[in-house]
Amino acid sequence: MDLDVYLAAILGGDTRAFGGWMSGAEPRVRDSLRSFAQVIDVEAVLQETLLRTWQVAPRLVADGRPNGLLRMAIRIGRNLAISEVRRTKATPTDGDDLEAALAAGDRPISAPDPMLRKAIAECRDKLPAKPRQALDARLASAGAQDDDDLATALRMKVNTFLQNFTRARQLIADCLHKRGIAIDQELGA
Amino acid sequence: MTFDDEFLIEQVASAYRPVPRDELRYHPRWHDLDGAGRERAFARARALRELEAALDPDGLSTTARAVLARITGVR
Repeated sequence: MDLDVYLAAILGGDTRAFGGWMSGAEPRVRDSLRSFAQVIDVEAVLQETLLRTWQVAPRLVADGRPNGLLRMAIRIGRNLAISEVRRTKATPTDGDDLEAALAAGDRPISAPDPMLRKAIAECRDKLPAKPRQALDARLASAGAQDDDDLATALRMKVNTFLQNFTRARQLIADCLHKRGIAIDQELGA
Repeated sequence: MTFDDEFLIEQVASAYRPVPRDELRYHPRWHDLDGAGRERAFARARALRELEAALDPDGLSTTARAVLARITGVR
C-alpha cells in the first residue's frame, strides 16, 4: 500500500486523511527510532515527528517513488532524535543507519487485517470488569492524561490501576494465543 | 526486573506525554528506567499501539490520537 494516496487530502488540511496515513506510517517511523530507545524518549520524539510531518507535508517534493511522506517522516524523526541526543548530552547510539531506516519506507505496507481486529475485540470483550476499565481508560484518554489521573478517575490507587492494565493486556494476549494468533510477545509479558 | 520496574515500564509505554513547550518533554518516569528498562518500554509501547489501533474504530493508536489532538488544538 502506498500511503501517499492520502497526500492530496492531507495537503487540503484533512486531519482524517492524516489519521489514515498515521495508521500505516506510525509503526514504521517508530521502528526507525529503535536504536535511540536507550537514550531518548522515543514516544515523545515520535509524537513530535508526526506533528512536524503534518506541518511540513506541503513541502514534500514527489520523486515518483511510493511512500514519499513516510520517508520524509523517517528523516524528520531521525534528525529530531539526533537533536535530542545532543540536547540531553546522552551518549550517541551505535548502529543508527539512516539508509536502513529509509528502506523501511520502501517495504510494502499491509492494510489492517479485519479478522485480527475482530479477534482482538472479542478478546477485549471477555475481560473482567476492572482490567476492562483500566484498558478503556487508557484508550479513551488517548495520551492526554497520565496514569495517576486515570487511576484517580476510576477511584483506584495507581498501582492497582497498573495491575489491572497489565492484567488486561496479558489476558488479551492469552486469548489471542489460544486462538492460534501469533502476537508480539511483549504484549503478554 | 523488579516489581517497581515493571510498573515504570507500563507507565512509560503509554502514549501520555506532557505537551512540549520550548522543548520536548519526556514521560516523567522515563528517567527512572535504566537502559534495559527503556528498551522494554519501547517494545511494550510498540505492542500496545498495535492492540490499540485494532480496537479503535478508525484504526488509530493512542499515539496517533494524541497527535491529532495537538493538530486540532484539543491539547
